[in-house]
Amino acid sequence: MSQSIDESTQTTEIGHDEYDPVGTLALIGLYFLILVALWIFVYFVEFLGNDPTVVTGSALLLAGVGHR
Amino acid sequence: MGALLVVVAFTVPLFVELRTVLSWVGVELTVLESVALAAVAIAALLVWALWPESDGPDSSNAG
Amino acid sequence: MSNTYLDQFPAEAKVVRAAFYSSFFALAIGGLFGIVQTLHRTDVYRFMDSADYYTVLTAHGVLLAITFTIFFLVGVFTWAVTTSLDRGVENLRFTWAWYGLMVIGTAMAAIPIFAGFTDSIDMSASVLFTFYAPLQGHPLFYLGLVLFVVGTWLAGVDWFRSWRAWKAEHPDERIPLPTFMVLTTTIMWYIATLGVAAAILLFLLPWSLGLIESVNPLLTRTLFWFFGHPVVYFWLMPTYMMWYVMLPKFSGGKLFSDPLARVVFVLFLILSVPTGIHHQYLDPGIAEGFKFIAMTNTMFLLLPSLLTAFTVVASMEHGARQRGGTGYFGWLKALPWRDPVFTGMALAGLMFAAAGFSGMVNAGMNINYLVHNTFWVVGHFHLTVGTAVALTFMAVTYWFLPQITGKALWSRPVALVQVVLWFVGMTFMSNAMHRAGLLGVPRRTAEPQYEGVTFEAAVGSVGELNAQIALGGVILTISLVLFFANVIATGFNGRSDELPSNGYADALSGPEDAPLVLDNLKLWTAIAIVLVIFAYTFPLLSIVQRGGLFGPEVITFPVSLESLAPIAAALEYGGLATVDGVASAVTGALEPGRIAIAEVVR
Repeated sequence: MSQSIDESTQTTEIGHDEYDPVGTLALIGLYFLILVALWIFVYFVEFLGNDPTVVTGSALLLAGVGHR
Repeated sequence: MGALLVVVAFTVPLFVELRTVLSWVGVELTVLESVALAAVAIAALLVWALWPESDGPDSSNAG
Repeated sequence: MSNTYLDQFPAEAKVVRAAFYSSFFALAIGGLFGIVQTLHRTDVYRFMDSADYYTVLTAHGVLLAITFTIFFLVGVFTWAVTTSLDRGVENLRFTWAWYGLMVIGTAMAAIPIFAGFTDSIDMSASVLFTFYAPLQGHPLFYLGLVLFVVGTWLAGVDWFRSWRAWKAEHPDERIPLPTFMVLTTTIMWYIATLGVAAAILLFLLPWSLGLIESVNPLLTRTLFWFFGHPVVYFWLMPTYMMWYVMLPKFSGGKLFSDPLARVVFVLFLILSVPTGIHHQYLDPGIAEGFKFIAMTNTMFLLLPSLLTAFTVVASMEHGARQRGGTGYFGWLKALPWRDPVFTGMALAGLMFAAAGFSGMVNAGMNINYLVHNTFWVVGHFHLTVGTAVALTFMAVTYWFLPQITGKALWSRPVALVQVVLWFVGMTFMSNAMHRAGLLGVPRRTAEPQYEGVTFEAAVGSVGELNAQIALGGVILTISLVLFFANVIATGFNGRSDELPSNGYADALSGPEDAPLVLDNLKLWTAIAIVLVIFAYTFPLLSIVQRGGLFGPEVITFPVSLESLAPIAAALEYGGLATVDGVASAVTGALEPGRIAIAEVVR
């Protein structure tokens, strides 16, 4: 059984105007930085730095044969 | 307690990928070494979190 | 005396309960097949023939991606509509009828799949979740899928009837948010399922019955993905609904913005369908330009997902601050991490954030070539449907079970351990799948070990990745066992009078702040249809023009065990034929499209 809003742990009532979600900004900002870093890693290191893979390599091979 | 459990769970992806990150700076870890490192880190985390604070005035610190 | 959903709507609670239990039954079997596959593929433990792997894979995909998710979400949607409109369903027999139709459809589709395990029944449908032609399943499989989908259509009719009846009594009120979410999702589903209905009714079913000789594989495949991408939003939108209307409540706060939630669901309605071609970036025979349009639409879909990330986190933060949380990150400590419902949903959201990254890689046309058809994709959708959706559904089950059974949950600590284990297990499994995909390890194969090919790992080895995948699979299985233990033991509990009341979260910024146009469902439906026409008319026309409505000559592959050898031979022959096909496809692809556009311009 799960609690709904547990009144005993709620210490303050924060309305629409006094609420400033800075923590959300911090978390989402951090997430954005991680996303950018990971994307750069995958694109520049894995994508540009590797040979064609078995899967896509064979497709490229097929396309290559097709062009002949 | 709940938060601690989640923090411990959250260390798992960090340690799984720690080897990859370290290899970029030339540090090569074996599987066993990273498992041991993770175990030590989680143990340290648990000790820090579960250490009784209310022992006496001498045991309190900034942690 | 408690005021649960069961107390408010006893008859509807039974329908929701039946839907949930059907969903859990599918989860149990699908999960069992999950661990069987994991151990087989990674070569940790192989006890079946590799040919049976594909039967297991089909059952795993269909039972989890279709049966588990959709049975659960029709239960959630029925709860959402009845609760937020505060009225029962219009006709209970009708409600049971669509549920019954879905059950019959599932059974019909499952029979040929499971018959694939034995040679004594001449029937099989090991065509995988995507049932690409020329793989051919038994007609019963396609008929079952049709009945199941029709069942969901009637469920949608049920929800719309409730809304219309409510609107007649409350002409000037805004649609309550949960109902709004149900209605937009249902419209999206109606549009999306047209694709799979056309693929099955016009082509695949007549073909498997022997009424037509052949089909155009690219056409049925494109029609499949017309449905196949939006189906992921059919799972995801109920998940988002739970994040929007339930998670703030469990965090101890309010939904940050009702209007923003409506915008998100409208965007999903508009953008979900005209994106399916992004699953076909590597398909020859579809021109690059069409793929580019699909990619653009897909990138726009990031918008509602990022809006969701913001709104959901802001709602959680509101709860945390009301509970005394402070600081930029310190507020996280004030969240109710002991509550399995909250923790499960929060971890599911966290995993979804990771999936957002791999999804971005999948969506980009060039970088997709790196991961297309590799294990990366499997890792990706185990983060989305396998965690964001499944873990949210399991977590919220711990809240719903008392609501629909009137019994207290058997064990909250076990529930908490269960959701955390799912997160840990999926971390191991999915992360290793992503990494293996980057090395080029293919998906959909029983034995990804090839002579003459070695997958080079930069750090560690493929063996280590396999070990991580197997370990993750085992942890996930333990988590599932704990889940079912809790569900079953709760069923044996006695009735409790001290359960929380039924309800959902209030909003900080309510519907009165939302522009009226957001509730204009006809407008959004029209825009969605126009976008679909833009995105699909020319690709479909060009596919039909080149390949024919019923395809060029194709070799049919009925999927059954004894036909494996001829299939292998045919594949070899077919592979050669494909090479020629590709050549003409590549040169021919652009021309018809250009002509068609030129004609329209004239």
